[in-house]
Amino acid sequence: MGDIDDSHFETGDSGASATYPMQCSALRKNGFVMLKGRPCKIVEMSTSKTGKHGHAKVHLVGIDIFSGKKYEDICPSTHNMDVPHVKREDYQLTDISDDGYLSLMSDNGDLREDLKVPEGELGTQLRADYDAGKDILCTVLKSCGEEVVIAVKTNTALDK
Amino acid sequence: MTEQIIAELESAANIIMAPPNVVANEQRHAAECIFLEFRKTKSPYNICREILEKSQNHYVMFEAAEVIKSAIIREWAFLLDSDKISLRQYLFEYIITHETPPFVKERILQVIVIMVKRASIDDNGRERANLLREVESLIVNSEPQKKILGCNIITHLMQEYATTVKSTDVGLPWEVHFKAKKQFESTDLKRIFQFSIYLLTEVGKAGTPFPENMVVLIGHLLKILERVLTWGYVSPFLPKRLIGIYEAVYEADAAPGLKLPASWADYILNPDMVPLVFQIYWKVRDNEQLAHTALACLVQLATLSGKVMSHDESRLKYLHSYLVAFFNLISNVTIRSRESIGISNIVKKLIIFFISDIPKLPNDIRDTLLDEFTRLTCHFCEGGALEETQVDEEDRNFSDAFDGMMEAWMTILQEFGPAASDSSLFECAKRVFEKYVQSRLAPPEGSRGPQRDHDHGGDEPEESDRKLYRDQLQSIGSFGRAVSKTSMPLMFNLLESRTATLYNSFQEMRSRALTISEAAALDSLYEDLNWLVLIAGHVLCFDADGNETVMIPMEMIRMSSNSYNAGCTVEASLQALRLAENSTTMPADFEKCDAIVRIFFDIMKLCCVEEFAIRSGMKQFLSPELSSTIMWFFRRFCANYLMPVEHYYTELTPTILGCLGVNSEGARLIIGYVLKKIQTNLYYFQSEPQVLQDTVDCFCDLVNCRQKSIHIYDAPALRELLTVCESIEPGVMPQNVLRGMYRGFALCAECLAMEGETPEPLQIYMESVVGSLQRKFHSICTAEGGLASKTEDQSTRAVIVDLLEAFIGLAKGSQIFTSDIIFDFLAPILNEMPNFMSAFNNYHVIVQLILELFGQVAKYTLCYLPHTKSQRLYECALATVQTYTKCNMNRFTVESFAEETTFQDLGLVLDVLTFILSKDCIDLCTSNDEEITVTAADVSLFGLSFIMPLMSMDLLKYPSLCLQYYRLLVLVNDIYPEKVSSLPQDLLQSLLKSIDIGLINFGSDIVQICLDFIQGMASYIFRHKLVNSLLYAAIRPFLKTLIDLTLSRQINSDLITSASTTIYTLICCYQEDYRALVETLLQMQSDPMVRERLAAAFNNLVIGVEWNCERLPKLKFRDNFDKFIANVHGFLLVK
Repeated sequence: MGDIDDSHFETGDSGASATYPMQCSALRKNGFVMLKGRPCKIVEMSTSKTGKHGHAKVHLVGIDIFSGKKYEDICPSTHNMDVPHVKREDYQLTDISDDGYLSLMSDNGDLREDLKVPEGELGTQLRADYDAGKDILCTVLKSCGEEVVIAVKTNTALDK
Repeated sequence: MTEQIIAELESAANIIMAPPNVVANEQRHAAECIFLEFRKTKSPYNICREILEKSQNHYVMFEAAEVIKSAIIREWAFLLDSDKISLRQYLFEYIITHETPPFVKERILQVIVIMVKRASIDDNGRERANLLREVESLIVNSEPQKKILGCNIITHLMQEYATTVKSTDVGLPWEVHFKAKKQFESTDLKRIFQFSIYLLTEVGKAGTPFPENMVVLIGHLLKILERVLTWGYVSPFLPKRLIGIYEAVYEADAAPGLKLPASWADYILNPDMVPLVFQIYWKVRDNEQLAHTALACLVQLATLSGKVMSHDESRLKYLHSYLVAFFNLISNVTIRSRESIGISNIVKKLIIFFISDIPKLPNDIRDTLLDEFTRLTCHFCEGGALEETQVDEEDRNFSDAFDGMMEAWMTILQEFGPAASDSSLFECAKRVFEKYVQSRLAPPEGSRGPQRDHDHGGDEPEESDRKLYRDQLQSIGSFGRAVSKTSMPLMFNLLESRTATLYNSFQEMRSRALTISEAAALDSLYEDLNWLVLIAGHVLCFDADGNETVMIPMEMIRMSSNSYNAGCTVEASLQALRLAENSTTMPADFEKCDAIVRIFFDIMKLCCVEEFAIRSGMKQFLSPELSSTIMWFFRRFCANYLMPVEHYYTELTPTILGCLGVNSEGARLIIGYVLKKIQTNLYYFQSEPQVLQDTVDCFCDLVNCRQKSIHIYDAPALRELLTVCESIEPGVMPQNVLRGMYRGFALCAECLAMEGETPEPLQIYMESVVGSLQRKFHSICTAEGGLASKTEDQSTRAVIVDLLEAFIGLAKGSQIFTSDIIFDFLAPILNEMPNFMSAFNNYHVIVQLILELFGQVAKYTLCYLPHTKSQRLYECALATVQTYTKCNMNRFTVESFAEETTFQDLGLVLDVLTFILSKDCIDLCTSNDEEITVTAADVSLFGLSFIMPLMSMDLLKYPSLCLQYYRLLVLVNDIYPEKVSSLPQDLLQSLLKSIDIGLINFGSDIVQICLDFIQGMASYIFRHKLVNSLLYAAIRPFLKTLIDLTLSRQINSDLITSASTTIYTLICCYQEDYRALVETLLQMQSDPMVRERLAAAFNNLVIGVEWNCERLPKLKFRDNFDKFIANVHGFLLVK
C-alpha cells in the first residue's frame, strides 16, 4: 500500500514547491534560477552597483533549460531569487512504440512510457541509434512540471 | 593588340567594380582571373605604359602600376640600366604631368622609390641624389600642387628606406635593406632634414593666418620633419628581431628617443632650430592637425641624445635653449586640453633624458623649471578633475597629462630627495599634494565637481577608484611622504571631521528619514571619505602586489622620530589604540599621539560608525565602496606597519616599537580589531561580493607572513573567526569567499611547520581547522541510501559546494612545509571524488568544483609531495577524469550551452593534467629515497588519452582552450619525447593530427607550439637514429607540409625563423625526401628561367650546411633560409 502511495507522489505533480529561494549573491554560474517564470541555467553573472556608493546588484543571463531561450534580469544582491528543482535522470531505452512513445527503464527497474521521442536532431539521432541496435541511455530533464529527453548517450562496453 | 588587351582589362574592371546585383558570380570570378593572369605578365613595362597613357579606367591604371611594381622586384637583376633609368624618368614625368586619382599616384610613387632604392644599392645613391635635386627644385619653384607632389615623393622615399624587417620590397634580403637604410641615413636624410628646416624658416617669416595651400604645405613639411625626428636610428649591432621591434614601435606613434651620431651635430645643434620649431608650433597651434605634428616634433627634440650630445657643454646649451623656448611658450598661453598630453610628454622626456643636467643649470632657470612644472601639474590636476565631472566628455587629456607629470615628478623627487632638505622642492611638493587633495574633495574645502552618474544599466562592473587611479595614488603617496610633516596633519584632520559628520548624520537618521538633498550630501560625504582613506593609505604605505616584503617607508620613520622628539609619547599613542573601538570616548593627550597611529585610530572610528549604523538597523545606508576601501587600508597597514621585523631597519622609533612592535599591546589590539572586523563583514555583508573579496584578501595577507602569523594563530579572535566560518549556513556565501577564508587558515599554519616533521601545535591547529569539514564530509558519504540518493537534495548539494570550496581553499593555502599535512587530510576526500563525479555528473557546478579541486591540489601541493603521496594523487585524479569522460562520451545533447560547458570542463581537465606534469619540471620534495615507478608524464598522457575523443574541432576554436591543449602537448614533448614516441599508434596519430591541424587553423602562437613540437620530435629521431620506427614514418610528412607552407607564405613572416630551424632538423632526418621534394618543385616550374633561379636558390640554401643536427649548422641554415625566402618570394608565383 505504502509503495503505491510513494510512486504516486513521485511521478505526479505532488504539490511540493517546484522552487526554493536563494539569496541572489549566492547564485553561481552554471547553476539554475527562475527568470521571467522560466527555469534557466545561469550562463553569465556579474555584479555592479546602484551608484558608486550604492549596494551590489546582480546581472544574470540565463538560458531556458527547455527552450534554449535567453533571459536576463538585474536584481539587488540582497533579494531572494527562486531556484528551480532540476532533476536529471538517466534511463535505459527499451523500446519505441509505434505512436512515438519511449519505453524507459530506470536504474531500479521501474518502467515508464509517458515520454515521446524528442523532436528534431536529437530524435533523429535517437531513432538511428535505436535502429542500429545500440544500447541507449536517455537523460530526462525535469523541472517545474515539464519533462523531456534532453540527451542520449550510446552505451559502450567501457561504461559497464 | 595593346588596344585589345586594354579593352579586355577595362571590361573586366567594370565587372569587378559593378554592384553585386548586376553581375553573376561566375562573371566576377572570370574577371578576377583576367587580372590574376595579367599580374603574371613578363616584362610588362611597355604594355603598362600604354595603359597609363591610354586608359581612363582607374582600376586598370592601379593594376598596371601594381604589375610594374612586382615585375620590377622580380626582374630587377635582368633589366638594362638604360631601361631602368628611362622607366624611372618616364614614371616621374608621368605623375608630374598627369592628373591621377590619389591611390594610383601613391602606387606609382612607390614604384619610383623602390627603383631608386634598388639603384642606390649599386650606385651609392647617385640616382637618388639626382631625384632629390629634381624634387627640391620642384618644391621651391613650382606652383602649390607640384610642391605637394614633391613632398609626397620625399615622404615615400623615407618610408621605403625606413622599414627593413617588414619591407614590401620582398626581393632583397634583410641585410641589404638595412645597409641601404644606413647609407640613406648618413647622406640624404640629413639633406632632407636641412631642406625641411630651410623651408620651415620661410614659413616662420610668413604672417598668420596662412593661406589655404600654405597650410597644406606646412602639414607636409611638418610630417617630413616628424619622420626625420622619429626615424629609427638603430645601431647595426642589434639583432634583426630587435630592429624589427624598433621599426614597429616607430610606426606606432610612440617613437624611441632621438639618438643621433656625432655627424648630426652641425644639423641638429643649430641654435636657431629649436626656437624655430617652437615658433612654428605657436603659429599653427589653432590648427589641430598641424599642431599635433609640430608638438610631436617638439617631444622628439626633448629626447635628443647619443654621440651628438656627448659634450657637457653642448648638452647644457641645447637644454638651456630648449627650456627658454619652452617656458616662453607655456607662460604666455593657456594650455588647452588637446595639447596638454604633448606638453606633459615634453616634461617627462626632458626629465628622462636630461635629469643629470638639471642641477648644472643656472639657479634662476632651475627655479623657474620647478615653478613652471608645479604650475603645469596643478593646472592639469584641475583640468582632470573637471573632465571627470563631464558625462559626455570621453577625452581624458588633462588626467593623462597629469599622470605624465606625476611620472616626471617621481624621478625629480627621487633624484633630488630627500625632499625636506630642499625648501623650494618641498614647497612645490606641498602645493601639488594639497592641490590634489583639494581636487578630490567636495566644496567648500575642495573643488570636486558633481559626481557623474555611475548607474548606467549595470552592464559593465565599474572599476573601483583604487584600481582606476592606482598609479596616480601611488605618486601622490610619494608626494605625501615627501611632505609628511604637513600632509599627515592635513589627512587626520580631514578624516576626523568627515567621520564626525557621518556619525552625526546617522544619529539624525535614527529619528527621521533623510531628505533628498541630505541623501545626496551623504553620498558626497562617502566620496570624500573614500578618497581620504585612499590617499591616507597611499601616503602611509607602499602598495605592493605579490609577495615582496613591504616595509615601513623611510620617510614615515623619520617623521615618527621627529614627532617623538617633539613630544609625542608611546603612552598617548597606546591610549588611542585602546580606545579605538569605543565610539564615544576621546583619548586623553590625543595631540601627543603619533600620526601613524592616529590615522589608524581614525579609520577605526569610521568602522565604529559602520558598526553603529548596523546595530541601529541602518545598514542599507552604508557605502560598500567605503567598506571595501577600509579593508584595503587594513590590509596595507598591517603589511607595512604591524609587527615590523626589527633587523630589517637601521632604526625604528619608540612609538612604532611600542605601539606596533612584536609582542606589544598595540599589536595585539590591532590584530584583534582587524580579525573582528573581518568577522563582522562576513556576517553582515554577505550580499556585497566586493566587500567580501577585500575582506578575504585582507585576511590572507595578514596571515601570510610567518613572522606575523606566529602571533596570530592562537589569538582568540582567530578561533571566533573559524567558528563563524563553520556556522555559516550552507549556500549563502558568494563564490570564492569560503575558499579564500580557508586558504587563509591554511596559510596561517605555515608558521608552526618545520621541515621534516609535524610538530604537535601544527597537528592541533590543523585539526581545529579541518575537524568540522571532515565531520560534514563524512556524514554525506555515509548517508543512508548512499550518495546517489542525495543527488536531488538541494541542501546536500549546497553543503557539498561549500565543502569543495573550503577544500580548494585549503589546497591553495598549502605551502612547502604544510603541504604534507594538508594532503594527508585531503587524500581520503580525493579518494571519494570519482564517486561524487559519477553521482553528481549532471550538476555542473559540482563537476567543475571537483575538477578544480584536483587542479589546485596538483598546483599547490604536488611539487612538495613525496612519491607515494604523489602516486595517490595521480590515481585519484585519473579515476576522476576517467569517470568524467565516461559520463560524457558518446553523448549527444540538445541542451543549450552544452558546448560552452564542455569547454569549461575540458579547460579544467587540461589544468589538472598540466599541473600534474609540472611535477616533472619542478620537484621540490626533499626525500627521494623512494623509487619512482610512474612519472607525471605517464599520468598526463594517459589522462590526455581519455579526453582526446571529447576534444572536437569546434571546441578547439575556443582560443584559450586551444592554447592550453597545445601547450600541454609541447610540454609533454619537451620533457619526455621518448614517452611520446612510444605511445600506442592510434594515440600518436591523433596527437600528430592535432599538430597538423594546429599548423594551419589557428593563430601564430599555436603554429609556434606545433613547430616546437615537430622540431623536438625530429631531433629525438635524429639523436636516437630511429629510422624504420613508427615515429619516423609518422613525422615524415611534416617536411613537405612545412616547405609548402613557407613557400606559399602561409606561415607568418615572424615565424619563418622557427620554421627554418624545424625544417633543418627534419632535413637531417629525411635527406632523401628533401632531395626528391626539391626535384619535384623544380619540375613543376614551366618557365626555364624561374626553374633555373629556383635551382640556384635551393643550391645556395644548403651551401656550407652540415646535416648533423648541431647548433652551428642549424644557425647557418637559418640565415640561409632567410635569404632564400626573401629571394624566392621575389620571383616565385605561388597561389
